[in-house]
Amino acid sequence: MDPSSSTPAIETTGLTKRFPLRGQRGERTALDGIDLQVPRGCAFGFLGPNGAGKTTIIRTLLGLTPASAGTMHVLGHPVPAERAQALRRVGAIVEEPRFHMHLTGRENLRIVSAVRGPETLERIDPALARVGLSERAGEKVKSYSMGMRQRLGVARCLLADPLLLILDEPTNGLDPGGIQEFREMIRAMVEQEGRTVFISSHLLDEVEKTCDAAAIVDRGKIVTQGAIADLAAGGGARHELIVGVDDVDRALGVLGASELVAEARRDDEGIRVVLSGDPQTAAQINAALVGAGLGVTRLEPVRHSLEQRFLAITQRLDADLVPEEVKA
Amino acid sequence: MNPTIALRMVGADFLKLRKKRSTLIWALVLAVAPLLIYFIVRGLQHSSSPAQNSPAGGINGYEDAMPVLALFFGPLAAIMIGTDSGAGDLAAGVFRDLVVTGRSRVALFAARVPAAVGLCWLVMLVAYAVMIIGTYALAAGTPTPGGALVVNGLLFTLFATGILCVVAVGFSSLTGSRPAALTVLIGWQLVASRILENIESLGSSRKLILSQAVAHFSPIGLGEHHGPRGGATVTMSTGTAVIVALAWIVIFCALGAWRTRTMDA
Repeated sequence: MDPSSSTPAIETTGLTKRFPLRGQRGERTALDGIDLQVPRGCAFGFLGPNGAGKTTIIRTLLGLTPASAGTMHVLGHPVPAERAQALRRVGAIVEEPRFHMHLTGRENLRIVSAVRGPETLERIDPALARVGLSERAGEKVKSYSMGMRQRLGVARCLLADPLLLILDEPTNGLDPGGIQEFREMIRAMVEQEGRTVFISSHLLDEVEKTCDAAAIVDRGKIVTQGAIADLAAGGGARHELIVGVDDVDRALGVLGASELVAEARRDDEGIRVVLSGDPQTAAQINAALVGAGLGVTRLEPVRHSLEQRFLAITQRLDADLVPEEVKA
Repeated sequence: MNPTIALRMVGADFLKLRKKRSTLIWALVLAVAPLLIYFIVRGLQHSSSPAQNSPAGGINGYEDAMPVLALFFGPLAAIMIGTDSGAGDLAAGVFRDLVVTGRSRVALFAARVPAAVGLCWLVMLVAYAVMIIGTYALAAGTPTPGGALVVNGLLFTLFATGILCVVAVGFSSLTGSRPAALTVLIGWQLVASRILENIESLGSSRKLILSQAVAHFSPIGLGEHHGPRGGATVTMSTGTAVIVALAWIVIFCALGAWRTRTMDA
């Protein structure tokens, strides 16, 4: 496997997974024609509400359950045709990390090491050190906290020296300190070690703070995907300002006449301005207002949150108003 | 697969089983305690009334204790260990973590079999040692088994329990549930097979019962002479007994491997 390969870390085309309905005829579609591209060397969030199909896509990619239709490539290898080669450099935690509770942390890693191959044996101690479990590695896992088990799960992933880490809801059950620690570890893996991390989560804030790019999934379909900032802005790079002035009506006139402004409207906080160009034009907007003799009391970029965007999308779906991007 | 990896996988499965104290302790109790009880009770009977009760040890004691270990309680211990091995990864929730390594699922199944049999045989060695100690220590001057019989008895014990252990690994891998596999196999071993082998109208089809085929190989002739004690009521040729025993192993291993390969992890 070539680590410098230019192929995406994960690539799926038309990936579909149907489950038979228990006790009834017919099938339930858990994944519906998923086209996903996860670039290498980034933290990629796979965001969706519970039951959206996040775990199903992970299970399908890892060969835990077969796909009903479509193609998948992991680290450039077709899955399931070259599953063994594809997964050789993949570490994964599916749902919560599970272990043999009657064994120690180190013994649990030894078991996975035996399955992965002899070259992984020497990675056990560094992996334990990497997640801060060296001192507790000789204790039985049943005495570990949830946070320690999550970290042991990551150590288990590191045995593969992974080019790709797939983490399913990795911060579930962690306290705020543990979440922060986990986030820093993920960022270090991406920025310092050049690994790709694929994180599924229903926690918008978590994805926004940890990931570089994301896909939003709902009801088995990818609703949208791209860089976090673009997603939050609504698909395109939409820049907005909140402007506070001493004369709102006159300011609306000035802004309406400016080529730099795509839209300006009054709202509770003052004037909401949608820029037609990049955010640097905010300075020119300010100059135009001041030049018109207006007193500018506030000029603040609007930070779009992924949560707003996510809720907007899923609420639209709930109302069966399928957005254009879904149809596409 | 690389033999080094295969050996390490077996070693890892052995570690899982060996460290599971509840299974190990109960297997030892099942295999050893009945022998201890047998020797203690028979020893007390003999000491209280030597004229009416033969010594607990000696060749007679050995022949009485052998079916207790090899055909009754030993197989129960083997079933305990085998079912734990077959369904242990699923029960602990780690099967998926082993699958995502990319290693063949059949290889994952295959590693369970020698690991379980290895631990089963360790337990049987301990129990057999207890039996031999009792046989010689409590012989009270009566004849004792010769070296050949001791060795053949050991091999028979390992054979009888090893087969049940392999069947248990396959069956629990098939069901994916240790409690279910344990219940069915113990029910089969203790109740169903005993009933079926005593229904004479079933005729030679009773040769298909595993315990009948196994008893055929007993060094103390359980297969032909000790029906009520060893449970062997059907005579069969050695070839038939071998085929029946192999068929049980192959069928249950194939079913276990098939289920391990095809199940959603």
